[in-house]
Amino acid sequence: MMHDHVIDRSKDITILEVLDRVLNKGVILTGDIVISVADIDLVYVGVKLMLSSVETMEQIRSGNPIVEK
Amino acid sequence: MIYSILSSGERTEKLNSLLVGMKGIAGADINIVFFENISAIVCDINRIKLVADQSNAIAYAGVIETLAHHFTLLPVRFGSVMESDAAIIHMLKKNYNDIQQNLLKVENKYEFGLKIFCEPEKLKAELTAKSDANAKTSTSPATEINNSVYRDWVNKKLKEHRFEELLVTYVDSVISKIKGDLDQLKAINKFKKIVTTSMIIDAVFLLDKERKDLLVETVGELQNQHAGLTFVLTGPWPPYNFVDFTVK
Repeated sequence: MMHDHVIDRSKDITILEVLDRVLNKGVILTGDIVISVADIDLVYVGVKLMLSSVETMEQIRSGNPIVEK
Repeated sequence: MIYSILSSGERTEKLNSLLVGMKGIAGADINIVFFENISAIVCDINRIKLVADQSNAIAYAGVIETLAHHFTLLPVRFGSVMESDAAIIHMLKKNYNDIQQNLLKVENKYEFGLKIFCEPEKLKAELTAKSDANAKTSTSPATEINNSVYRDWVNKKLKEHRFEELLVTYVDSVISKIKGDLDQLKAINKFKKIVTTSMIIDAVFLLDKERKDLLVETVGELQNQHAGLTFVLTGPWPPYNFVDFTVK
């Protein structure tokens, strides 16, 4: 059960990591940024993340650290 | 909109072939704007569609990630728009030296993220117990005050303050251990401490691609040495956290 909890949290972490990087990091262009912000659904799980979670489960089983993405 | 700036060098054919059929946000075609040996990866987009929602952010990240497998690049923050190819070329020309320096810094390197979580109440109990064992007086810090309500409030605040100090000391010791163990990887690192009550460390590393396996192994060992904590390693990422400059 503890592992399920970790995996669930890892999904959220991964999506948050993507969003944090794309929206808050990287080269900044001054004066020309035109975006609007929509609600971000943090429970979204894409196909890629589902695959990642399977890998995560395998890594936990094998005693290795969680490597996401 | 600009996705990234990359070092294309003389590999323009490779870049062109990679971009054939690639779609960006809202299904827009991806194009290249060249200037000398660097290129901006761009797409034409109706600004009305440029909403910072999750699907657009993931589509954006997907383009950058695909390119990062083949080229050294600088990710550009989502939503960076310029009016024309001419304006982009002007920008590349004006910032050429900064761009080159940053490309050099991240060449053949991966970024990794490491988040470390605790169970707040459990950690609090452990640290407090350790501290109390070392200093018995800490359990009755303000007994000379007669007013019981005031005394309780002071004691509560003192305990909170002491715990914060203990937590910072503990987190510093974990960071020190991580830095020591990762020293062999020659990674550039950035640490944030006590981001939330449960996330005590949020770190990013930039290291040579061939050292990836060693990083995973080292973090695995660190996890084994800190049973009460959960280490979550993410990556490899394009170097989002290591391009510290603003394009003029």
